[in-house]
Amino acid sequence: MTPTLRGRARSKTSKTSPTSPTSSASPKAVARRVAGHVARGLAMIWVVATISFVIIREIPGDPVKGQYESLIQKGMSPEQAERATAVLYGFLPTGSLWEQYTGYINSLLHLDLGRSLSTPGVEVTTLIGSAARWTVLPVLAGTLLSFLLGVIMGVYAAIKRSGRLGDVLALSGSLLHGVPVYVIGLLLTAIFATLWPIMPSGGPVDVEHVPGLNPGYLGSLAHHAVLPVVTYTLASYGGWILAMKSNVVAVLGDDFILAAELRGLKRGIVFRYIARNAILPLFTVLALSIGMLFGGSIFIEQIFNYPGLGLLLVGSISSRDYALMGGTFLVITIGIVVANIVADLLYTAIDPRVRSGGAA
Amino acid sequence: MTANPTAPAVRVRGLTVVYKTPVGELPAVSNVDLTLAPGTITGVVGESGSGKSTLALCLLNAVQSPGRIAAGSVEIDGLGDVVELGGEELRRARGRHVGYVFQAAQNSLNPLKTIGKQLLDLGRSHGVEDLRALVRDAKDLLARMGMDGARVLDSYQHELSGGMRQRVGIMLALVLNAKVVVLDEPTTALDMITQATILRIVREVHDERGLTTLVITHDVGAVAEVADNLAVMYGGRVVEHGPVMEVLGSPRHPYTRGLIRAIPRLSGDISLARALPGRPPTLGTLPAAGCVFRERCDRRMDVCDTVEPVPLTRDGRTVACHAVDAAADVDANAAPGVAAGAADRTPTTARRKEYA
Repeated sequence: MTPTLRGRARSKTSKTSPTSPTSSASPKAVARRVAGHVARGLAMIWVVATISFVIIREIPGDPVKGQYESLIQKGMSPEQAERATAVLYGFLPTGSLWEQYTGYINSLLHLDLGRSLSTPGVEVTTLIGSAARWTVLPVLAGTLLSFLLGVIMGVYAAIKRSGRLGDVLALSGSLLHGVPVYVIGLLLTAIFATLWPIMPSGGPVDVEHVPGLNPGYLGSLAHHAVLPVVTYTLASYGGWILAMKSNVVAVLGDDFILAAELRGLKRGIVFRYIARNAILPLFTVLALSIGMLFGGSIFIEQIFNYPGLGLLLVGSISSRDYALMGGTFLVITIGIVVANIVADLLYTAIDPRVRSGGAA
Repeated sequence: MTANPTAPAVRVRGLTVVYKTPVGELPAVSNVDLTLAPGTITGVVGESGSGKSTLALCLLNAVQSPGRIAAGSVEIDGLGDVVELGGEELRRARGRHVGYVFQAAQNSLNPLKTIGKQLLDLGRSHGVEDLRALVRDAKDLLARMGMDGARVLDSYQHELSGGMRQRVGIMLALVLNAKVVVLDEPTTALDMITQATILRIVREVHDERGLTTLVITHDVGAVAEVADNLAVMYGGRVVEHGPVMEVLGSPRHPYTRGLIRAIPRLSGDISLARALPGRPPTLGTLPAAGCVFRERCDRRMDVCDTVEPVPLTRDGRTVACHAVDAAADVDANAAPGVAAGAADRTPTTARRKEYA
């Protein structure tokens, strides 16, 4: 046993055999990662587009062909009917499946989703664009608000878990998590729009205001948004607080928290250690739920009469507006795919353990 | 034994730690006296549940809920009674006066921050003005332990091996110049070569920096290699304490002897190793009166059922056992009848003072 010799040998190995090439990913690696994600995302979107094409084309009764034939019956020439149907669906009603498919993909690449049937003549992209306005802002506000609230309250619920405050907070989480969103929405309308009418009962904005950046219009927008946002916040708050509470409790039991205390770290620093480790898994969920918001919230839009994406989708289904349906599906898909990419990149940025090149 | 003038002494007196359970408060550490001489390494061995980790946490007054220190004191030179400390005073003492090194298998580092950032957190928490100097000290310490300091400080916990983590733990415990260091199972879950390296580092750093060190372990071999003194714990009591070679060479307490007999030899017949019969007591099965070891003892006497043996010190060795007392008394032909019965408690206690 020659300690000096062994010591030298060890120090040599620890220099020449790095456990990981780099502790922080290089810009090149990040670029490669992003490129990979984008490629996979595009592939996913293409698959969904193809599936929705096949469904619309092959659905019983063949709506495309039906449209084409009904136009001929109305006295159009076959050429005219063909053109009109192509405008409607973005691809030719006749021809082989392959010709139709390439035509469809081609118009997709030009961001042409076809025209709506239920609102004749209006492009699907226009409809989706205007509906998205009424969905994205309230749902985004609700998601972020409930996340913030749930995370903060979750930390308190975990720290005070053996006290009354912790019980109350955990109970509020379970209760709100269990109550369906439409019950919360109806209750809030009943209370604040009917019994004690301080809030508008529906619609995204009062019609008497001129749209634009004037205080009256913006104020009315905000006023109308309060109940939907609060409903959405309350509906998703329960999930956040419960998840955050259990995460914090788990982290509190981790050895490194005790170690930090035994090293005499300041309370604030220990608290940051706890919070950052506990919030980590929730960021993925947050990114995904932001992606989901393009699906809209059908119940909330229905209750508060918001002409958002959720209502658009339901409307397109009930009126058999296939072009609009396909377009809405596509937008939801893109939202989720993008959110997945963002979630993954976000996680890479905030958790060193999943960075590429890190040896576990 | 390398007595160092700068090293502080640690005196544990009458320490009792109780844990709150549904059936009331049960003692995990019972009336323990233990002196860590300045500049020495003291090993504490015992089975799981013997109270050795609880004892270690007491040096930082960090017994975790539902446990609490019910009685006793832990005096550290230059710091005072740790049991009396609280709040900010206690926080500042941790890390600055008393360093604590976790078991390597435990993740004692924040997985989301580099070692360097955690070092800076440590410095800021203790009001270190010159953070550059702190980083320099840390690098020196890491280099002293055979590591590339700059690279380690840039690493995350998951990028380090068990042995490297353990050395990082030692660095974090020492970088603020703590003179009392507690190592909780420093070699558990490490391979044999790394174990030997860590123990050598502990010994060398201990000598160089003039520390008073407490090593908690259940590995008697590790203790033999590194410690000056050895304390054997059983059922929350220190049953034997003395210079490590003497305790291991001629164990007096029946439990210590059983423990040593149970170690299988690397060469030779494995059946020579005899496991101790029975199981170690848990908080709930600990007898309320008498000797805690009597159920597993081969030298059990009547008195063991009723009277708890008091630690007696002779020739620099402390043992808490009626049978050992009786034998010693016969040998020395002293104080007849001491071991005879329960009524002789007073002379025993008096004698203890005499020897101490």
